[in-house]
Amino acid sequence: MACGAWYPVLGEVMKCVMNLRQAIQSTISQKATMLMLAGIVVVHITTIILLLVATIDNAWWVTNTVSTDLWGRWELANSIWHYTNMKVSNEAAEYLQTVQATSVLACVFAILALFVFVAQLFTLPKGQRFTFTGILQLIACLCIMIAASIYTAELHAKDMEGWYGHSYILAWISFVLALLLAITYLILRKKNE
Amino acid sequence: MLTFLALASVVLLGIVPEQSQAIVIYTGWERHALVGSDIRLSCSFFSWRWTSEDVTFSWTYRPDGSRDSISIFHYTGGAAYVDNKGPFRDRLEFVGNPGRRDGSILIKNLDFSDNGTFTCDAKNPPDIVGRPSSVRLLVFEKVPIQAGVITGAIIGVVLGLLVLIVVIYYLMRFLVARRVFSLSVSSGHRPLSLATPSPKSTVSLPPHPLSVSPYV
Repeated sequence: MACGAWYPVLGEVMKCVMNLRQAIQSTISQKATMLMLAGIVVVHITTIILLLVATIDNAWWVTNTVSTDLWGRWELANSIWHYTNMKVSNEAAEYLQTVQATSVLACVFAILALFVFVAQLFTLPKGQRFTFTGILQLIACLCIMIAASIYTAELHAKDMEGWYGHSYILAWISFVLALLLAITYLILRKKNE
Repeated sequence: MLTFLALASVVLLGIVPEQSQAIVIYTGWERHALVGSDIRLSCSFFSWRWTSEDVTFSWTYRPDGSRDSISIFHYTGGAAYVDNKGPFRDRLEFVGNPGRRDGSILIKNLDFSDNGTFTCDAKNPPDIVGRPSSVRLLVFEKVPIQAGVITGAIIGVVLGLLVLIVVIYYLMRFLVARRVFSLSVSSGHRPLSLATPSPKSTVSLPPHPLSVSPYV
């Protein structure tokens, strides 16, 4: 922004200063926008990773010799871990399948939301909200909440020994993150120039 | 030339069935049933010969964990002979139709002790070379849900609904844009069209209005 030192009138100087200020502000605002965008994408990817770990890794309910998750059961026998089938009662088997289904659906919707967000970045008309992304993320957050709630209420409710493993905790953390992201997407608006 | 071909085919047709005269017996692989219910164990066979009048069916039963099998049913010479001394006394009934190659039996009032393997052997003279086929009976207190049925059902329904909703949404937008439909606009709502950018109020979240641009 070459103002040139040759503006004798004060008004012209003021105009030059204003232009300069606007340029700096737009650069800052562009940087802030980029930062915000990068932050949102990073948090979204983190949520997806947490959801995947919670669904796949085998530590929903852990005791000293047993580590079980949604799909199978690791049992420690003679210092060797063996992978065995789940041992659940008949009633709990149906709930377990529901937990499996909803946690898988949460992963799927979170990944879908990321792709839809990137697509909407380029195709959304200016000034509109990222509603589709927000709705998908909200459904993902609901699904993982349903999964973790059913797991808490129905399975291992009467087991004496044991504690909830890291997959279970990650499921709840990813629920919180997904909820925050969903609200962000529903409030966020595309730049209206 | 033609007569030679006809002769050859007749000879071949005469030869081939001589070698493939094995009778093939079909039953189920596994049957699940609830305690106290009835179950029909089906048995039928395939044979190159016509169904003869001396066709025989026989069923044997081997309990789970035992190595001996006992004979519980025999059909021969047009008459059916059911078990009248063994574990299925008064519970077995012949519901098959030998003329239609069906040798099914009906067992009533199942109990846990009926768990085991049922073997059906059928003979259609002169077609007697065959392998008996077995069906395993499992008696449950409550029929268990197969692994993954509910999981798959929930996932399939939800994803299907999502696809359906997206398709309907884009269809509606397409139709409105083509002016096939025209949606009524009430005071608070904006018309469902892409052309007009709607004015919006500012957002309160960050210090300056939160906005995102793809072009950096």
